[in-house]
Amino acid sequence: MTPIIEVKNLIKKYRVGTEIITALNGVNLQIAKGEFIAIVGTSGSGKSTLLNMMSGLERPTKGEIWINNTLLNKVKEKDMATFRRNYMGFVFQSFNLLPSLTALENAVLPLILQGTGKKERSKRGREILKMLGLEKRILNKPTQMSGGQQQRVSIARALINNPKIIFADEPTGNLDTKTTKEIMDLLTTTTKEKGQTLVMVTHDRDVARYADRIIHMVDGMIINEEEKGGAVVNEKVN
Amino acid sequence: MYKMDILKMAYKNLWRRKVRTFLTVLGVLIGTTSIVVMLSLGIGLNEAQRRNMERWGSLNQIEIYSGVNFDDKGNPIGQANPLNDEAVKEIKAMPGVVAVSPGFNMGGRALWGRKEGHLQLVGIEPAQMPQFEFELAKGRFLEDGDRFNIVLGWEVGRNFRDRRQLEMMRNMSRQSRIMMRQQMREQEPETLEMLNQRVTMEVHNRNGQKKIYNFTVVGVLSQENRDKSWQAYAPIDEIKRIREYVMGGRNNNDPRMAREMAVKEGGRATRVSSGRQVNGPSPNDYEFIWVRTENVDATKKISKALRDKGYRAHSLADNLEGIEKTSKTIQAILGGIGSITLLVAALGIINTMIMSIYERTREIGIMKVIGASFFDVRMLFLTEAGLIGLLGGFFGLGLSYGASKVINHFGSDFINRGMPPGEAANSLSVIPPWLALFALGFSILIGVIAGLYPANRAVRLSPISAIRNE
Ligand SMILES: Nc1ncnc2c1ncn2[C@@H]1O[C@H](COP(=O)(O)OP(=O)(O)O)[C@@H](O)[C@H]1O
Ligand SMILES: [Mg+2]
Repeated sequence: MTPIIEVKNLIKKYRVGTEIITALNGVNLQIAKGEFIAIVGTSGSGKSTLLNMMSGLERPTKGEIWINNTLLNKVKEKDMATFRRNYMGFVFQSFNLLPSLTALENAVLPLILQGTGKKERSKRGREILKMLGLEKRILNKPTQMSGGQQQRVSIARALINNPKIIFADEPTGNLDTKTTKEIMDLLTTTTKEKGQTLVMVTHDRDVARYADRIIHMVDGMIINEEEKGGAVVNEKVN
Repeated sequence: MYKMDILKMAYKNLWRRKVRTFLTVLGVLIGTTSIVVMLSLGIGLNEAQRRNMERWGSLNQIEIYSGVNFDDKGNPIGQANPLNDEAVKEIKAMPGVVAVSPGFNMGGRALWGRKEGHLQLVGIEPAQMPQFEFELAKGRFLEDGDRFNIVLGWEVGRNFRDRRQLEMMRNMSRQSRIMMRQQMREQEPETLEMLNQRVTMEVHNRNGQKKIYNFTVVGVLSQENRDKSWQAYAPIDEIKRIREYVMGGRNNNDPRMAREMAVKEGGRATRVSSGRQVNGPSPNDYEFIWVRTENVDATKKISKALRDKGYRAHSLADNLEGIEKTSKTIQAILGGIGSITLLVAALGIINTMIMSIYERTREIGIMKVIGASFFDVRMLFLTEAGLIGLLGGFFGLGLSYGASKVINHFGSDFINRGMPPGEAANSLSVIPPWLALFALGFSILIGVIAGLYPANRAVRLSPISAIRNE
């Protein structure tokens, strides 16, 4: 079976003044449909950069990214938003909800952008918020909710469109231990239920343990991969 | 994204920044008001001028006379084109011409019951009469087949005086004559009293014979027809026949006849007719031709074309060009002053929108990550800017109507000075529907144009750098 995400020889360099920073230094990665991947590594190791490349938010300096048999490099900037809307959901460390919208409106934002009718999106929004335990918070603005509740709204937003892939960049980074566990349980069960692919960046080993496969990054390179249960599959030594 | 959703979101965003939105809208409001009020003054001026002219006659009518043409300085430049059936045919064929009537003038003493007066008869094509913007007070127009029927102007009755009183006046002292005149003026008959009555005209010809013609009044023209109020209108064929009788016979353009007449009249007729014959026009030619046109523009064009062809053509609309040019210039200046205010308002919109992009950088980034297309983002910002324009335009228009009322209340004395009482009062400031629509459309357009640059900035915003500043 072809992987839903395939990264080939990915290189990303940033120019900061006269200095050139290599954020990704030749990354190869294949992710199968329905897989839950955790990317771990120290701060500055290139985790977020890799995630942003795969979701088309940034362009690679070199290398190829294939999403569901589409070469992402070739997708025009103009069409990228639509591409993301159709294939991907996003969860961020800082929730990134729109402060002026209610929980329901935030959750159904992808449907609004897609042009789904009002009735339909209200129904689906209420359903998913209820599933995430937010039925009492439907009309609350983000500022009226706790961090865990906000993150659940953003998960609702990521899932509402039934995307094939969910990208999560340190989704539990701003949450306490108890809430972290709740959120991780939610994310894992819902994505598994629907057979969605989940790519998560974290530096928390406990959180990474939820994943089917853990990818370790150091200095813009993958140094090893770890299957569930702790077996090191492919150790690279530099 | 649905248009409705974009509109809602734009509205919400504006509402979130109430004070700033209000101030920006206020700028557009003032701009719109100043443009509308300025233009309304220009339009009011224009309308007043046009109405002033229309009181003196129709702008859809051209009159062509026989005689001599003059250049701009008033020097004669030769005989004008003769007004004959050929000419009528030629004019009828010109585009924009609705109706043509040739005509003669003829005046004489006339009797109406016990009263005596002067009757100025104008012979025209009876069937064409309704085409020439006559208005009836009572009765009917001339019709095809009418012979000795006439239609009177509103003031014609004032020409008629009681015969006995006139007789008496001749034998009176100066003092009592003035008194008598005063008294008679008070007794001036209403022209309407002459409707359906008989008016008799006694015509003498050159051979010293006389003939009595009886006319029946079938209609009286309205007071509105100021330029026609002292004339009576009769079928052209009768007037032609009466003229021929006066001239001394059917063939008086025949040289032999003229010579014969010259002998009888002691040479007087010879001078007249031979003088005419040398210069071309025959005494059978019409004295004037009326031309009715489609509209004012056609009048201007045709009137000029006729003059170029060599006709002595005049129209009230001829003067319109200069007047309109002046008032267009005034309107342009007034509109220009107003536009500057709106331009400043547009800068205000640009400023507000750019500030709002800075504030909402993160939000825009989120929306783009979630899947807002370039089109959505652009539309959102253009809608917000357009809404500011619309709101400013809408309330500015309201204020304009108010301002216009106030101006007319205090300024109407100024513009209606010298107008006869009872005339429709002219307004200093006029806001026609097209101006209202134009103002709304223009303010929206200004908003959208002002929003173009900010919207483009929002579109170009990189989503990742927008959400990175955590
Ligand atoms: N836009 C950028 N401009 C310059 N350098 C960047 C930019 N984004 C990331 N980097 C650099 O690339 C490296 C990897 O960053 P990042 O992927 O955010 O690391 P992580 O998410 O693993 O903490 C870091 O050294 C960072 O400073
Ligand atoms: Mg990171």
